[in-house]
Amino acid sequence: MPQDGQTPRGASKPTENVTSLGMASTDEELVARSMGGDLDSFNQLVLRWERPIYALAYRVIGREDDARDVCQETFLRAFRALGGFKGQAKFSSWLYRITLNLCRDWIRRQRRQPVAQAPEGVDLLDLATETTPAESIEDLVARRELSHAVARAMASLPDEQRTAIILKEYHGLTFQEIADLLDCPLSTVKTRLYQGLTVLRRQLAGAGLTGDSLTGRS
Amino acid sequence: MPTKCDSEQLVSYLYDDLSGEDAAAFERHLRGCAACREDLAGFQGLRATLKTWAPPQPDLALTIADTRAGAHPGAAVHAHAHPHAPAHPHASWRAWWTPAAGLAAAAVFVLAAASALAHVEIRVGSDGFSVRTGWNTNPAPASTVVPSPAPGVDLARFDASVADMQRRLGELEAESHKPVIPSAVRMVSTGTANHMSDTEMLTRVRDLLAQSESRQQRELAIRIGQVVRDVDAQRVADLSRIQQGLGRIDAMTTADAAAHRELANYVITSTRQQK
Repeated sequence: MPQDGQTPRGASKPTENVTSLGMASTDEELVARSMGGDLDSFNQLVLRWERPIYALAYRVIGREDDARDVCQETFLRAFRALGGFKGQAKFSSWLYRITLNLCRDWIRRQRRQPVAQAPEGVDLLDLATETTPAESIEDLVARRELSHAVARAMASLPDEQRTAIILKEYHGLTFQEIADLLDCPLSTVKTRLYQGLTVLRRQLAGAGLTGDSLTGRS
Repeated sequence: MPTKCDSEQLVSYLYDDLSGEDAAAFERHLRGCAACREDLAGFQGLRATLKTWAPPQPDLALTIADTRAGAHPGAAVHAHAHPHAPAHPHASWRAWWTPAAGLAAAAVFVLAAASALAHVEIRVGSDGFSVRTGWNTNPAPASTVVPSPAPGVDLARFDASVADMQRRLGELEAESHKPVIPSAVRMVSTGTANHMSDTEMLTRVRDLLAQSESRQQRELAIRIGQVVRDVDAQRVADLSRIQQGLGRIDAMTTADAAAHRELANYVITSTRQQK
């Protein structure tokens, strides 16, 4: 289940949608109706999953516009290939797999390490819209800087480690689901996570984030 | 019970993926292993830090629109990303876009025709007679460009030619007063009295639309740039004022603290003297 506010819209649970009649439609039900030619059902799935898919694409390739393109292409491919979806895996896992394949293609085309978009300056006007009554502008700036530092550190990781961390940390997939998506053994997933987290910890400490920050006491 | 450090166990424990028995065994290991304890604490803190990395929140509003009636998955489809989410998530963009585009095209069409009619240029030269329309800067009146006959030219033929030109001029003038838009567009495009096919006319209209759009984009970019500069200047000024205000508050606070400290010292000293 997506962990960071990327919960599918219109759903109380990731695979359910509450209709106007109070009835819940699961992903599987919507998929079945879509396969029968009901376009509205598929568009409900799109509405439900577009943000998590966009978030995944953005974190993997690090560019807003390209992430949007990947997101759009993911749903187009899913719709075209819906007839071949047999339901062995969850619909969301199937979408994640398509997205990761597209991201991999994108990275291959770019022939360079993806760099997360992290603006150099901190725009207080942008930040002002995010201010909550309990959060001062200083806190907001600090949070934004921390976010940029995390984005930079993530961009420095090898693709396999970054993808494993993103799927686990931000999308809440199980180790087994990640192993299935990445076509690797369970132990490899855990090793990649351990190595990636170790590098991230060192990078963030090197970027001036103290041990207190990394132990959540800041 | 793990007796040596196991990174996979550590990761499983970190993400709460160990069964009760395995978790208890790992906790026993943790009690005797400072390195794993440090790793675990560091990773737990790191996980909290990672939560701060939030992606942008774009207004995606993607919808799949089937271009074939009655088609099913696998048919030709298009995905539309709206700049702003529609009130109804499944409403087709064509519902509002098509009339707007049609009206805009019609407006440009009429404007182009009117412009052409308003800028008719008639030229009589040594190369014959021509009519041009458009945005030429120096239209030459017909009377000023009638050439003198070259030596050896038959004057009778020349007079006949001039008479013929005058007749055709009269016809064209009469024709130009008729509100026939297609002919006006043809003139805009060719600069001569040649007729234009529908395809060419369509191409011309599209060109006009593209030029208009390009001009509007440039103007919009200029205005946006100006707004950004203004906002940036205001932001810098505001930040400067905030910094000055903070400086003053800091100075006042420091002075107050010093006064309080002095007062406290005086009270303490006085108390000791009384004792």
